[in-house]
Amino acid sequence: MSLTMVKKLLIPMVALAIVVTGCSSDDGDAVADGPTIQLRGQAFSEAVTIAEVYGQYLQAKGYDVEILTPAGFRTEAIDGLRDGELDLIVDYIGGSLTALAPDSPSSSNPDEVVAIIGPAYEEIGATLGDYSPAVDGDAFVVRGDSPANTISDVADLGYVFGASAQCFERPQCYLGYTDPAIYGITFSDTVTIEFGPLLGEALAAGEVDAVVWNTTAPQITEQGFKVLEDDQGLHPAQNIAPIISTEVLDAYGDQLLDDLNELSGMISTADLLAWNTETDIAKRESDDVASEWLEAEGVN
Amino acid sequence: MVFAQAPVPRDIGAFEWLADPDSWTGTNGILASLADTVVLCAIVVVVATITMVPLAAWLAHTRRGEVSVSWTVTLSRAIPTFAVAGLLVPISLRRGWGFEPWPIFIALLLLALPPIFLNTYTAIRQVDPGVVDAARATGYTETDVLFRVELALATSVILAGARVAAVTVVATEPIRAFLGGDGLGRYVRDGLGQNNDGLVIAGAILVAGLAGLTALTFRSIERFALPDGVRRLATNTTP
Repeated sequence: MSLTMVKKLLIPMVALAIVVTGCSSDDGDAVADGPTIQLRGQAFSEAVTIAEVYGQYLQAKGYDVEILTPAGFRTEAIDGLRDGELDLIVDYIGGSLTALAPDSPSSSNPDEVVAIIGPAYEEIGATLGDYSPAVDGDAFVVRGDSPANTISDVADLGYVFGASAQCFERPQCYLGYTDPAIYGITFSDTVTIEFGPLLGEALAAGEVDAVVWNTTAPQITEQGFKVLEDDQGLHPAQNIAPIISTEVLDAYGDQLLDDLNELSGMISTADLLAWNTETDIAKRESDDVASEWLEAEGVN
Repeated sequence: MVFAQAPVPRDIGAFEWLADPDSWTGTNGILASLADTVVLCAIVVVVATITMVPLAAWLAHTRRGEVSVSWTVTLSRAIPTFAVAGLLVPISLRRGWGFEPWPIFIALLLLALPPIFLNTYTAIRQVDPGVVDAARATGYTETDVLFRVELALATSVILAGARVAAVTVVATEPIRAFLGGDGLGRYVRDGLGQNNDGLVIAGAILVAGLAGLTALTFRSIERFALPDGVRRLATNTTP
């Protein structure tokens, strides 16, 4: 147990003791009573930090939040929300689109994406909050010395393509790159690589010539790669957005949604990149990175 | 050249996919993946056998290094194969050796060495000392004692060690698909990544099937590879 965890456990206990002994003092954050909000991040560093930011923010606002150990990915998060195991998740809207409505056309316009996933989340008893200006989208990444500037430029370069298994079955990924009606790229070979730092290692070593990564991967600038422009608008909009159980939202009232939307509005793409640099390059703990950011924003 | 990699439908049943002839052919087909896996595993087991059997036989015959041998073998069994391969991949990439085959080869080799070594060492140490003394008294040289008495009597246990190594290697080789390689594990990897249960189950059936087949193959080798004298001995002593 880290010192910060001990502190985090102790501070509410001490606070509770003070409240209990001095019952008359009633000047804290007055928030309507409601159930404990169960929040769980997806199991990769950026999502873990995002979950910590939302969780600690709500705790600072006086809500009863439990930040569970990160586990699983999008499928597990949405299933947890549907089953009532989780009350709050944070996802990338384009990712939610592929999970909830795989047959819908993807769009690089966030409003169009939200128009589809909003009702889809309502169907599973959840409410989609406003999307944040912070975007972590798909990035078509090549080495810095590549002659290409747009994804279309890659069409006839005979590149070896590396991506995770998910990419190879998605219309917004491999299928879209190779579709003659969209990019029509002819890759000389494909390699399936676990999503993460291995993508950068393979690209740097010349095992592959192009990989699909995420735009906020700090290694992209760190290792001198470049992100090609998605000139055909294939990649969906990937703004982050919180999704909260409608039942919990009704218990707390609209103030909770207003608070969530206020936080979403505060986070920028540069913040995501900065968090990932802290956690992935400097190897710091997500909860510390989150609380420092909230402090700098004047929340904590 | 375009590599056809049509996505497998998500609602497909494991046996439905296995029954489709198209699943078996092509660069990503089951037959090609099977060949990848079998070739790598065969090389690993052969290298492990030709290095470990002579070393263990010599150490056991000369009664050398008993304590250090037992410790080394015990500790080497605690090596986490996936972690070894995973750590070796970035090193191999940086040296320009690619994803394959070195990281997975070394990791699997470390897995195959202990059972072969241990079985050979133990089998030779447990040969009846009376038999060895009788051989020496009859005028056998030390080389004859090792090859014509000790190794001959130890054959079945040594082969059992090779079988254990081979089955473990075949059952573990699929981790290669999670480290930038292919082979029979690719279906489990793709199925997990693409949320396709049918594909995961089909991949697991293929891996388990190959491991079972490996065990059966070694059982029959064990039956036919016994030296004549030892087989006669076995049939005579069994009532």
